[in-house]
Amino acid sequence: MQYNSTIENKKVTDGSAKAAYVSMKGVGHKYDPRPETPMVVQGIDLDIHRHEFVAVVGPSGCGKSTLLRMVAGLLIPSHGHVSVFNLPVTEPRDDVGIVFQKANLLPWLTVRKNVLFPLKHKYGSYSASDEKRANELLEMAGLTQFADKMPDELSGGMQQRVGIVRALLLNPDILLMDEPFSALDALTREQIGFDLLDIWKEHPKTVLFITHSISEAVLLSDRILVMSKRPGTVLDLIEVDLPRPRSAKTINSPRFAELTDKIRGYIYEPNVPA
Amino acid sequence: MNPTYLPNSWLAQQANRFAPALFFIGLVLLWELICRFGNVPNYILPSPSAIFMAFFDVEFSRWLTHLWATLRVALMGFALSIVIAIPLSIGMMRSQLMNRVLYPALIVIQSTPVVAVAPLIIVLLGTDDPSRVLITCLITFFPLVVSTTTGMLETPPEMIELSQSLRAPRYRETWQIRIPYAIPHIFSGLRVSITLAIIGAVVAEFVAAEEGLGYFIQFSTSFFKIPQAFAGLIFLSIISLLLFKSIQWIQAWFFPWSLPKKQS
Repeated sequence: MQYNSTIENKKVTDGSAKAAYVSMKGVGHKYDPRPETPMVVQGIDLDIHRHEFVAVVGPSGCGKSTLLRMVAGLLIPSHGHVSVFNLPVTEPRDDVGIVFQKANLLPWLTVRKNVLFPLKHKYGSYSASDEKRANELLEMAGLTQFADKMPDELSGGMQQRVGIVRALLLNPDILLMDEPFSALDALTREQIGFDLLDIWKEHPKTVLFITHSISEAVLLSDRILVMSKRPGTVLDLIEVDLPRPRSAKTINSPRFAELTDKIRGYIYEPNVPA
Repeated sequence: MNPTYLPNSWLAQQANRFAPALFFIGLVLLWELICRFGNVPNYILPSPSAIFMAFFDVEFSRWLTHLWATLRVALMGFALSIVIAIPLSIGMMRSQLMNRVLYPALIVIQSTPVVAVAPLIIVLLGTDDPSRVLITCLITFFPLVVSTTTGMLETPPEMIELSQSLRAPRYRETWQIRIPYAIPHIFSGLRVSITLAIIGAVVAEFVAAEEGLGYFIQFSTSFFKIPQAFAGLIFLSIISLLLFKSIQWIQAWFFPWSLPKKQS
């Protein structure tokens, strides 16, 4: 029962689909408090609602990952407020799961033990029912036959799938994904994007997805926060009105091209509103 | 020239395969020839054949006694240095204060030649095992501290963030992430240390001992039984090599994931 944090327990109980699960108000950060040091991110306002998939795109070094770390509670912002379920974020929470860049699996544990690692690490042990849950998650991700393999025996795409399954183990309401597919080749990347959509359909989560791939952001998300180069500010917040479920066909639709072009415009002509 | 060029005739292939062994055999033959035809007396440089014969001049049980004495001191010193070095590294990694206090002390100990300190340790602790074990430990523990600390500090920040995101207790971060991550580093430290352990044991025996291969070599040399001394030296090299290999076997058996990946 350790991981069954249900939505009912949360401060946000008005039941409306528009309740903000994650809220950022005037968020900015600098790593050094001296006045002459520049801000990494600045003036970020964003509300992420229940079961919404929000992507953040922006050039390298614009502070996208900094933003994610602030929501995760791994970094406390020097300016503004970040709250999750209307509570200020002061430390990492159990109901927030993180999928790291490059999978971040522990090479000395089998795939199954990697998936169970959050419980083992947090509480020191796990039960048979936890193991059953891990097996179910692995099965959902098509990883059953790899459960007893070591991570380095798996391809990059498989490893990242394990990373996602691990983040789902504690059944978080909010899933933070930090450029999870950036180490993968283009074909694997597209495939795992569709896989993620399948998983998301089966286990609806509120997702904050950091990426530098414009098409990936458009394909996956409901809204896209476009950030400027450092210091990262909000250039635009774009509603992705493509119908779901999305598939390879979505990529060929004219609306998909329009949206990607619009974002591309921001990236290539920074700070000029379209 | 292509460096990966492979000779294709059978003879050339075999020669290529056994090149290291052939080189070694050639060297021994050359040594034998120089001693025989250069009229080098046995008490200056014994020929390989004289060394071989010298093995039989000493009773087998005497060899075993000396071998065991050296091996025992080396292994006890090595074990003691593991027991000291790993907790010490964890402490230094966890506590800035401990690091600041202990690091200079470790550098001082490491830069003091143990050979010079050995007689003083004998004065302090007597001529029995404890002083020999301490001398061995002093020589072996520094590489272990360095490799363990390096490994733990090189743990990727994302793995530490994974731990922080779970709000896990710090000791689990150490035991379940940092120490396993440091295993390959720890083993390279162990490989260096185990050969140093033999050196430590021999140094201790040079200073004060009634048995052991180091003692045997010194004793034989003082009686101009040079072939015997060489025979003792060969035993030392063999146990040193075997110990080095056993560290590799232990790593391959218990931590196969920590070995460098084979290029395929």
